[in-house]
Amino acid sequence: MINTGQSAASQGLQSCHDCHALWRLSDQNTHCRRCGSALHLRKPNAMPLTWALLLTSTFLLIPANMLPIMMITSLGRGEPATILGGVIDLIDLGMYGIAFVVLAASILIPVGKIIGLLIMLVTLQFGLTTNMQQKMMMFRMVHWIGRWSMLDIFVVAVLVALVQMGNLAQISGQLGATAFAGVVIFTMLAANAFDTRLIWDKHPGTDSE
Amino acid sequence: MDKITETEHLIACNECDLLLERPVILDSQKAKCPRCGSTLISARHNSIERTLALSIAGMILIFPANLFPLLTFELMGRAQSQTIFSSAMGFYYDGLWPLAVLVLMFTILVPACKLLLLFWVSFSLQFSIRLPARRFALRSYQHLDEWGMLEVYLVGVLVSIIKLASMATLVPGLGIFCLGALILVTTMSSSMLDTDLFWHKIGEADND
Ligand SMILES: [Zn+2]
Ligand SMILES: [Zn+2]
Repeated sequence: MINTGQSAASQGLQSCHDCHALWRLSDQNTHCRRCGSALHLRKPNAMPLTWALLLTSTFLLIPANMLPIMMITSLGRGEPATILGGVIDLIDLGMYGIAFVVLAASILIPVGKIIGLLIMLVTLQFGLTTNMQQKMMMFRMVHWIGRWSMLDIFVVAVLVALVQMGNLAQISGQLGATAFAGVVIFTMLAANAFDTRLIWDKHPGTDSE
Repeated sequence: MDKITETEHLIACNECDLLLERPVILDSQKAKCPRCGSTLISARHNSIERTLALSIAGMILIFPANLFPLLTFELMGRAQSQTIFSSAMGFYYDGLWPLAVLVLMFTILVPACKLLLLFWVSFSLQFSIRLPARRFALRSYQHLDEWGMLEVYLVGVLVSIIKLASMATLVPGLGIFCLGALILVTTMSSSMLDTDLFWHKIGEADND
């Protein structure tokens, strides 16, 4: 007898990660018979993997912000540009709107993502299951918005391709950009590695309120 | 024996594992999980047909979006044009080849693969032709989805225009309009895709 209103796992069912078909745990399938993906009750090693990816991206934040992301050479004089420097330049030019977009995409979003994922990990580790619906909403936001941090990398890519005028004006990419791309990719992978169902496994009584 | 039929009237929330009776929903409605608020099913009117049409449109638009220059930069009588590919190669010439590979993947390879995979699956379902590897194609599409970043790239181009505007003359090329259209088509195609329906159809066909 299968009862709804409880976790599928408690009713002896597991859902496929890719196609969401429900299978009996007792079937011992190793692969989903509908879509062919490997079956796991929960994402394997979700906690350690999320922690590891999150720590990696946190460490990468340092070189991403300290090292220049590009070198602007004009009339023979080279000047390195960091992410924050680029935002300040835009503010000096009076372009507050666009400065805010770049600031949000390159600093606020990556830092916010790391904090958001930390909140989810701490929620799971210590069972702080208050406001779960809000936390889930935040996690979905973190997941959705992550790719927008690539904005600054694409800006540098376009500038490097366009401004190739030898001594007159030249922009080249620098190592900070690689570190920054690393931050974006590792936070995206961390969000993918996390399994929110683990929170409900540990605290089945948790409701939306 | 395939035993999916005995659980077919049920659905488990993908984010909190709550087991529910599968809701019956109409075209273009969404069903949400009452416990965590995640979307369980998002039904779309004519999902297969529309996805097929949009993926074909996308596969056509991807060529002009990549071949025509996006921007031309003019400074003291000299001009430099830029395409999506050349902006990835700029990093390569600066010795940052991992970054070149990433930009290439996120802006050309992944978007192209996504359109091709979506075409493969929706074509096979629309005309009931059992094309090889269509299960793998749909799964790959689902995993690749968030790694296609054309819209972020387009905003990047716009920010670059603003940054360079004070320094030189910038002329937008035909490519930027094709890129805009391509983004419209790919965004619509991923919102038109009803994965629940697609998997259901694939499961049904494979059971016969
Ligand atoms: Zn499956
Ligand atoms: Zn749920």
